[in-house]
Amino acid sequence: MKNKNKQTKFPVARIKRIMQKDEEVGKVAQATPIVISKALELFLGMIIAEANKVTAERGSKKVEAYHLKHAVENVEMLDFLKEIVEAVPDPSAGGTIDLNAEPPEKEKKRRGKGKRAEGGAAAPRKRRRKGGKEEEEEEEPEQEQEADNYDNNGRQNADDDEWDG
Amino acid sequence: MSDHEGHGGGAPGTDDDLSLPKATVAKMIAELLPNDVSCAKDTRDLVIECCVEFIHLISSEANEICEQESKKTIAPEHIIAALKRLGFETFTAEVEDVLKDHKQQVKEREKKVGKLEQSGLSEEELARQQEELFAASRAKFQSTQQ
Repeated sequence: MKNKNKQTKFPVARIKRIMQKDEEVGKVAQATPIVISKALELFLGMIIAEANKVTAERGSKKVEAYHLKHAVENVEMLDFLKEIVEAVPDPSAGGTIDLNAEPPEKEKKRRGKGKRAEGGAAAPRKRRRKGGKEEEEEEEPEQEQEADNYDNNGRQNADDDEWDG
Repeated sequence: MSDHEGHGGGAPGTDDDLSLPKATVAKMIAELLPNDVSCAKDTRDLVIECCVEFIHLISSEANEICEQESKKTIAPEHIIAALKRLGFETFTAEVEDVLKDHKQQVKEREKKVGKLEQSGLSEEELARQQEELFAASRAKFQSTQQ
């Protein structure tokens, strides 16, 4: 049975201690933590409401941590929380995403083909796949792959690096 | 009780573990969510961290404002100014209400204390008067017993 009277309040003394953990903070008027308590209530209300929106969007009945993470990313007012939620894994990616690392494809391409730093379109070299059949040393940054050499390789497969014939 | 830090004025083990009581926050979250929605434990802990961060954010800003005014004590007005500066203007109306109520309560408390001081009587005199009243009512009581 839920009590919707909202009589629960934050402990004022605790708030004051948390404030004073910051060395810059000196004296605090008696009414100040009381006022912060109210602001905190409103803040909590807002953050829960936003997280719940995400929860509802996903058709879930339980507010998960990554719902909160998405809410933080969607609401400008919550920008200061970005670091806190950073560590929360996003299940849709099947695990933790390290946003700072380059996406796997690019990384592998760079490893496999240093020459192709200039990149062209997904112009696969096809050399690898052939397993040394034809070592095309030419630089073909923009050339079409429909050259005669590549008889059965008309595919523009960007992931060819992994295909070690 | 899951809150090992104790309630209200309980002294925590270390200052670094300073956080908000889990049970209180869990209750408040439950009050805010619709009846059929629950909150994961991880989420609740994350929310607590966010709340603590909010306190630090506001306190830091308020502290700056306080210094700018060459004051030494962070007053509620500084908090309200901080909220506005940080983009939380939507909070200020209710926060100002709470401040008004608080000031009102303090005034009323002072009035009660004032009555005592205003009587102009010393404590001994007041104690004597009290004893007289007790004696009088005792007598009345005893007379009704008969």
